[in-house]
Amino acid sequence: MRLSRRKFIQTVGVLSGGLLCMPSCTRSFPEYRVFSSGEAVCLTALCEQIIPADHDPGATDAGVIHFIDKLLHERFPHLLPLYQQGIAALEASCSRLYGTRFASLPTARQIEVMQQMETDALPEEYWTGIKASAFFRQVIRNTMQGFYGPPRHGGNKNYVSYRMLKLDFPLVVGQNRYT
Amino acid sequence: MKNKPVDAIVIGAGAGGGVVAKELAVNGFSVVVFERGGWPEYDEHINDELINQRVQELDSAFGPDWKKHPRVFAGKDGNRRILNAGDGSYNHVAACVGSGTVSYGAMGWRFMREDFRLKSTYGAVAGSTLEDWPISYEDLEPCYEKAEWEIGVSGDDTQNPFAPPRAKPQPMPPFEMNREARHLAQAARRLGLHPFPIPMLRNSVAYNGRAACIRNRTCCGYACPVNAKNGTHNTVIPLAMQTGNCEVRTHCMVAEILVNDQGLATGVRYFDERNKGQTLGARLVVVSGSATETARLLLNSKSKLFPAGAGNNNDWVGRNLQGHAYTGASGLFDFDILDLSGPGACMALCDYNHHNEGIIGGGLLANEFYTLPYAFSQNRPAGEMRWGLGHKNYQRENFYRLGRLVGPIQEIPVFESRVTVDASVKDYWGIPVAVLSGDRHPLDAPHCDFLGSKAEEILKEAGALRTWQHGGGRGGPSGGQHQAGTCRMGNDAQTSVVNRYGQLHEIDNLFVADGSLIVTNGGFNPVLTIMALGYWVGDYIVRTFKK
Repeated sequence: MRLSRRKFIQTVGVLSGGLLCMPSCTRSFPEYRVFSSGEAVCLTALCEQIIPADHDPGATDAGVIHFIDKLLHERFPHLLPLYQQGIAALEASCSRLYGTRFASLPTARQIEVMQQMETDALPEEYWTGIKASAFFRQVIRNTMQGFYGPPRHGGNKNYVSYRMLKLDFPLVVGQNRYT
Repeated sequence: MKNKPVDAIVIGAGAGGGVVAKELAVNGFSVVVFERGGWPEYDEHINDELINQRVQELDSAFGPDWKKHPRVFAGKDGNRRILNAGDGSYNHVAACVGSGTVSYGAMGWRFMREDFRLKSTYGAVAGSTLEDWPISYEDLEPCYEKAEWEIGVSGDDTQNPFAPPRAKPQPMPPFEMNREARHLAQAARRLGLHPFPIPMLRNSVAYNGRAACIRNRTCCGYACPVNAKNGTHNTVIPLAMQTGNCEVRTHCMVAEILVNDQGLATGVRYFDERNKGQTLGARLVVVSGSATETARLLLNSKSKLFPAGAGNNNDWVGRNLQGHAYTGASGLFDFDILDLSGPGACMALCDYNHHNEGIIGGGLLANEFYTLPYAFSQNRPAGEMRWGLGHKNYQRENFYRLGRLVGPIQEIPVFESRVTVDASVKDYWGIPVAVLSGDRHPLDAPHCDFLGSKAEEILKEAGALRTWQHGGGRGGPSGGQHQAGTCRMGNDAQTSVVNRYGQLHEIDNLFVADGSLIVTNGGFNPVLTIMALGYWVGDYIVRTFKK
């Protein structure tokens, strides 16, 4: 039997539509590889304060959270406990001090908390077995990698930092081809 | 049969080993070169700022594998840490055919006459094994020339009044200076200094069948996309292979040099590309694994006459480990001083190599290779924000406005700065790993401060609004890309490992040809000297082991 092009597309449409309705395909995929959605909200807010958006994009626009998520899943799983403990301790500290989560604090307050984290000045009882400053240094380092590193690792989405710094891409000077 | 004995085994296909293999192969020796890495392929490590030879945040682009090649760092407080190649204390060099010559910045310096006679020039130094080389600049001069012409150097020594005498000019004209270099050179001249274009192992014009440099901003730390950077992987090693006498066996890890009861090397035991144990016999063995791995291999090669490792009956193998503290200064300008015309470094001056009051050796100063956005984000003067809007503003304002002058300081060798082996920590193949221990000499820090202050003077004269020095020369042990010194050459068998030809004092058919031979590491990037030593050792082997 010979199918017309139109008939073929209709048939395929029906078949694939049927497939899409199967139960295993309707479940939503988790958005992150290693982080819970709560952890991701906290870390996103933290990264965004490390490289905030202004007239140029910030860490969130660059996909830094996904860069870190992928990095901890694929390359450096040994860093995951540091992140999980650090995020938990940060949330516990904010809850105790301000009665809310880090991501819900106003910008000025977030910066204040980060300065305390940098100098190990947050309530000690939540930072057992982990130094706040060490956690913060690690997040800064990975945020910078995700924002300024090459897009092939999942960060620097749409070449945001290369555009910001007017860095020609690809390599040849004067030959901008971002898209 | 695969493992038919050969005339010569060369272990390590880097700057030294590649040259020796070529010298032997073209003179009719059958040669097998063992390399623990593979052939470098540009497409496997494209210009990735997080994975290259200078910034190894996510991996080492040119090897070694982080999981298979651990080392131990032994601090003076008794604290021992197991390291992978991404750790700064690991003192990593590339593991691939060509090794560092694939990804280096490619400065092609000759050492100065004084660099071979440091003790005669400056006298003995307390707490140091400072010594003269057993060979002179004049001995090595023809070998430097061979390296410059066969591997390829662009430069013009006539512009450097401190350059040692040479029989023949460099084969290619020097590179044009970029904006930063022109600006800093003018300032240096106003101060009465003598700036000139850096000699580079890179093609300023098409040379030896390969193209001219296209001046990428990513050069130092990366493989060249147009093959205009000259290493052993694209010059002497292919030449060796073309003779039909040389086989390069990649992904092979040599575990031990076999030494018989008469005290002669008979071959090596190694693990092949499938990790299967093998032995290969040879008339002679040349070790070119870099200062750390060469020492480790000799120490792991125990035999009846050498129970503490090959050539180590006087406990000198692995000692005097040295490298270069890189120091200098940075300055922020109120205009875009960088034009990203690669690789960055193209102007140098040698006014601070030798004959400076109170300084032993000194070092060159050159403008620096470009850093890309991530590395730039990690570099801040004191008091600047490392995050937040302050960080972002600094990136935007200063990415093209940071001028730098840096250089390698002559390090003062220390006997206790050393490579040993630890039988309790093994690599992937079960071979005991290298342990790095010891400190730098206390003079390294003031020497760095001297060079840094001179760099700062030039930046200020050039109009930098804000300047700061880099310091350096503290802690240890030193090593890094420029690692050297662990199999010292000397005339006295009691206080050196090899003789003036790189031949072990006590094992006539075992040679070393890499940075390990270096007695004192100069105030220069050492690669051209390592290549020249390759020719020097290779020539001696050809003359004495003629078939």
